[in-house]
Amino acid sequence: MFADVLRGLRRNVTMTIAMILTTAISLCLLGAGLIVARMTDQMRQIYGDKVEVTIYLNEKVSSQDPNCQAKTCQALGDALNKDSDVDRVTYQSQSAAWQQYQQMFAGQPEMLQIAKQSDLNSSWHVKLKDPQQYKVIQARYQDFPGVKSVNDQSQTLDRLFNVLNGIRNATIIVALVQALAAFLLIANTVQVAAYTRRTETSIMRLVGASRWRTQIPFILEAVVAAVAGAILAIGGLVAMKYLFVDKTLGTIMNAGILPPIDGTALVWVSPWLGGIAVGLAGIASYATLRLYVRL
Amino acid sequence: MIHLAHVSKQYKASTRPALSDINLDVEKGEFAFVIGPSGSGKTTFMRLLLREEIATSGTVEVAGKNLSKLRRSKVAWHRRRLGCVFQDFRLLNNKTVAQNVGFALEVTGKARAHIRRVVPEVLELVGLDGKANRMPRELSGGEQQRVAIARAFANRPLLLLADEPTGNLDPDTSGEIMLLLERINRTGTTVLMSTHDNTIVDAMRRRVIELHLGKLVRDEARGVYGVGR
Repeated sequence: MFADVLRGLRRNVTMTIAMILTTAISLCLLGAGLIVARMTDQMRQIYGDKVEVTIYLNEKVSSQDPNCQAKTCQALGDALNKDSDVDRVTYQSQSAAWQQYQQMFAGQPEMLQIAKQSDLNSSWHVKLKDPQQYKVIQARYQDFPGVKSVNDQSQTLDRLFNVLNGIRNATIIVALVQALAAFLLIANTVQVAAYTRRTETSIMRLVGASRWRTQIPFILEAVVAAVAGAILAIGGLVAMKYLFVDKTLGTIMNAGILPPIDGTALVWVSPWLGGIAVGLAGIASYATLRLYVRL
Repeated sequence: MIHLAHVSKQYKASTRPALSDINLDVEKGEFAFVIGPSGSGKTTFMRLLLREEIATSGTVEVAGKNLSKLRRSKVAWHRRRLGCVFQDFRLLNNKTVAQNVGFALEVTGKARAHIRRVVPEVLELVGLDGKANRMPRELSGGEQQRVAIARAFANRPLLLLADEPTGNLDPDTSGEIMLLLERINRTGTTVLMSTHDNTIVDAMRRRVIELHLGKLVRDEARGVYGVGR
C-alpha cells in the first residue's frame, strides 16, 4: 500500500511538489504565529508577578513629607494596607526615587542632567492580588487627598502585547489564506490523480472494493505530501530560529526582556503542525472524493 | 440466480426507455447470451445487474437480493459475488499478470496467503501458468482477455457478466475464450454474455435473450443468433 502511495505521488510529481511547498509555507507561518502567541503568554506570566500600580503623590506632599509621617501620606498608606484588593504596599520617598533614577541612568549623563530630585515624586507601590483589578484601584485612589496620579505598568506592557498580538494575528491570517490555497491545491491534485487512475478505480469498484478502500490511497497520498510539507515547515522554523531570531533578538532574550524561543517551543509546535497537516489533507481529499469524484 | 420483474429503466436525457417492462429469470449454473443491436439495452441490462444503475421501476434480484433496495454500503459486498469481463480487458498496465489477478483479491481484503494460493490456481485454469510475471503489453489480445477472466473468476463469483468479451479478438482466439467461459460455467458459475458475434452464438446453441429497442423480443432455450427476428 505504501509503495503504491509513493508511486502515485511520483506519477504526479509537479503537483505533489506544489502541494508540499504550499502546505509547508502555510504551516511555517502558522507555526510562527503559534510561537509568538506562546511567547506572549509567557511574557504575561513573567511580567504579571512584577507588575505594580504606582500611586504618585503630588509635589507638595513629596517635598514637604519625605518620610511619610504627615496625615495625608499616612492616611493613604493606611487605606492601602487595609484594602482587600491589595496584596502588599511599599513607600518610595522622593530621595529614594532619585537614587533609583541615578542608578538606572548611571551610564547616560545627559539623562542625569535633564532631571533633578524635585522633579520626581514620592509614591506608593501597590502590588494587587489580581493585576486585572487596576481600574478599581485607580477609581478608588485617583481623587484621594495628596494623590497626583495613578499609573499602572501593565498599560505599558499591554502596548507591547498589542504589538506581539498584531504580529501573531497577521501571521495567522496569512497562514490561513495559505492554508486555503493548500486545501484547494490538495483537492485539485486528488481530482487529477483520480482521473489519471480511473481504470484502476473502476476495476476496484467492479470487483467489489469498498468505497473506503477505493478512497484510501488518494487520502494517504495527500496526507503523506502534507506531512512532508509539515516536516519542511518545522525545518523552516528551526532555520528561522537559528539564522534570524537568535541573531537579531538574542541580546534582548538573554537579558530576559523577551522570553527565549528555545527547542521547547519548536518541540511544542511540531505536533500541532503535523496534526494540522494530516487534518487538512485528510479533510480536503476526503471531501473532494465524496463531492467531486465518483469512486 | 437472476430475477427481473417488470423492469424498466429510463434515463433522464433520453426520450425512450433504455429497458421497458422486462420479465426474465436466469437459473443458477445457466449459460445465456444477451444479443441485440447497439442501443437495444444490453449494456443497461448488465449495469442493472452490477448495480451501477438502479431500475426506474420493477424488481431486479441477483442471488436473492433485491438490488433496488440494496443499501449503498452493501453494493461492494454485492459486487464481490459477481465477476465482470469487458471487451477492452481493463487491465492495469503497470502490474504483472499475477498482480492484476491478485489486485481484485487484495482490494477486497483477502489475506496475502490466500492471494498467493489462489492466483496460480486461476492462472492455470485460464491457461496462463508460466506467464504470471509478464506485463499485459507483452501478451496477445486473447491472453489479455484470459487475464481479465482470471481476475473476474478469482473471487469465485456466483455470476460472471461478460460484456462482448470477444469483440476485440479474431475468430480462433474468440473460440478459445468461449471454451474458457464454458469451463468456468461448468464449475457452477452462471455466465451471462452479451455479444454481436453470430458465429459464437450459433455454434454454442445456448440460451439466447434478445433485446430490441429496450424490449425483450426473444428468450430461447437453445437459440441461434438470427432466428426469430
